[in-house]
Amino acid sequence: MATVHAVEGLFADTPNGPRLLGSRCATCSAPYFPKSPVCHNPECTESKIEDAEFGPTGKLWGFTFQVFPPPPPAKYDEPFKPYPMGFIDLDDGLRVLGQVSIEDLTKVAVDMPVEMVIEPLFHDEDGNEVVTWKFKPS
Amino acid sequence: MREVAAVGFGMHPWGKFEDKSVTELCRHAVEASLQDAGVQWRDVEAVAAASSRFSGGKGWGLNGNDVVEDMGSTGVPVYNLSAGCSAGANAFNIGYTLVASGAHDMVMVVGGEKMPKGFIQTSGVEEHTDPEFLRQRCIGMPGPAFWAVLCRRRMHEHGTTEEQMAKVAVKARKNGALNPNARYRKETNVEEVLKSALVVYPLHLFEICAVSDGAAAVVLCSAEKAKQLTTKPVWVGGSAVATARFDDGITRGIGGMVPPGITHHSEAKAAVAKAMSQAGVGPKDLSLVELQDNTVYYELAFPEEWGLCEPGQAEWLLEHDETTPTGKLPINPSGGFISFGEATTAQGLFQICELGWQLRGEAGARQVPNAKVGMSQTIGLGGNATAVVLKN
Repeated sequence: MATVHAVEGLFADTPNGPRLLGSRCATCSAPYFPKSPVCHNPECTESKIEDAEFGPTGKLWGFTFQVFPPPPPAKYDEPFKPYPMGFIDLDDGLRVLGQVSIEDLTKVAVDMPVEMVIEPLFHDEDGNEVVTWKFKPS
Repeated sequence: MREVAAVGFGMHPWGKFEDKSVTELCRHAVEASLQDAGVQWRDVEAVAAASSRFSGGKGWGLNGNDVVEDMGSTGVPVYNLSAGCSAGANAFNIGYTLVASGAHDMVMVVGGEKMPKGFIQTSGVEEHTDPEFLRQRCIGMPGPAFWAVLCRRRMHEHGTTEEQMAKVAVKARKNGALNPNARYRKETNVEEVLKSALVVYPLHLFEICAVSDGAAAVVLCSAEKAKQLTTKPVWVGGSAVATARFDDGITRGIGGMVPPGITHHSEAKAAVAKAMSQAGVGPKDLSLVELQDNTVYYELAFPEEWGLCEPGQAEWLLEHDETTPTGKLPINPSGGFISFGEATTAQGLFQICELGWQLRGEAGARQVPNAKVGMSQTIGLGGNATAVVLKN
């Protein structure tokens, strides 16, 4: 039993804390998550893609609750527990989708300040703990 | 470019038809449109069809070829067009362009779909470069959650209430009850809508469109042909196609840029602006609008995003019955997706049929009085959108 990432290469627990692993264009500063091999901004004069880390802080732009077990390819632990999720506008200019990690669901609010964490999503067939990026109130 | 007339509208009712193939649904729609136009299948010079993802098309989206084989292989050119939920009206744009350019004098546009049950799924392949897969696996966020997030943001920005959202569904179903082609033909009320299952907060089952089977077809022709067929043709004022902009605030994968402003559904906004401009009409000229209401949220957000009303005014229009068939801005007199359900690639064409019937004054109990100009709109996977303006 080990801890494995939901998908490899998307996030890491860096010496500075949890970060999303993406890229950014050095010319127009457009952010990309996951990484992009080229800049897709039609206004950009020259694609200069560099690796970039995103996070950890931002605001919850909008949210919803997943109230029933999501269909595949989503995975979850039984018994299913409803969870909040939404669009998070990170301070460094990336709008990213993610679950909100919070015990009291009534406390979730639009524009709530949040901070990235790496937390369990489900356990796989081998008993490994599968983790992903989430956001908790900061 | 030449003027283009829409002279035939045909539809197979929307619903679930276990014992009918998509070819049968399309045949019904095509035959009805030919009869409506007063022409024969052999008069059709080309076919523009929506490529279905879920049914027929020999697994390659060759749905127009299926129709031609079924109706009679006359050797006509067939254009199959794939554009997600936008495909029907994208095919209409191809048909329009074929006639407007002078390439053909009479074109059949058709879309039909039989949908699998339940939520629309991803490809099913565990592909780590597929943003749909990443969103569902890493976040547990299925498609309808997107609408819910946008909807919850709107509640924050404009104070939209759950009752108001339910009222959109009530209005839709009231119109649908009067439409023999709609799947859901029973009226509902706010209490019943809010008591229906919570699918994804704040959206309830009755506030999200179901998946349906259906088919619709439109016959387009040149002005010269139209004058031989009818004294009152419906004209295609505008037909536009657009795709989403890079700086759109609706993240297409799992991450994107924080948008510089409120630029949501930029593809739909661009298509609508272009179609209205082509037709030489403004928001005040629209007698009715058929917009893509996958969820009640869109009926509140789209009119504002397109400048048909002021931001935050959509709820006021709703509360004052101004979006009913007899109001100032009738929206979805057909009953919309909420009443029809979604036969994805055929949707754009059921909307255009509704515009045609409304403009001819043939919409029965749901008729918009004195309808002169109608606009329809679709939005689909991949950032595709269309808009069509028909006028008398």
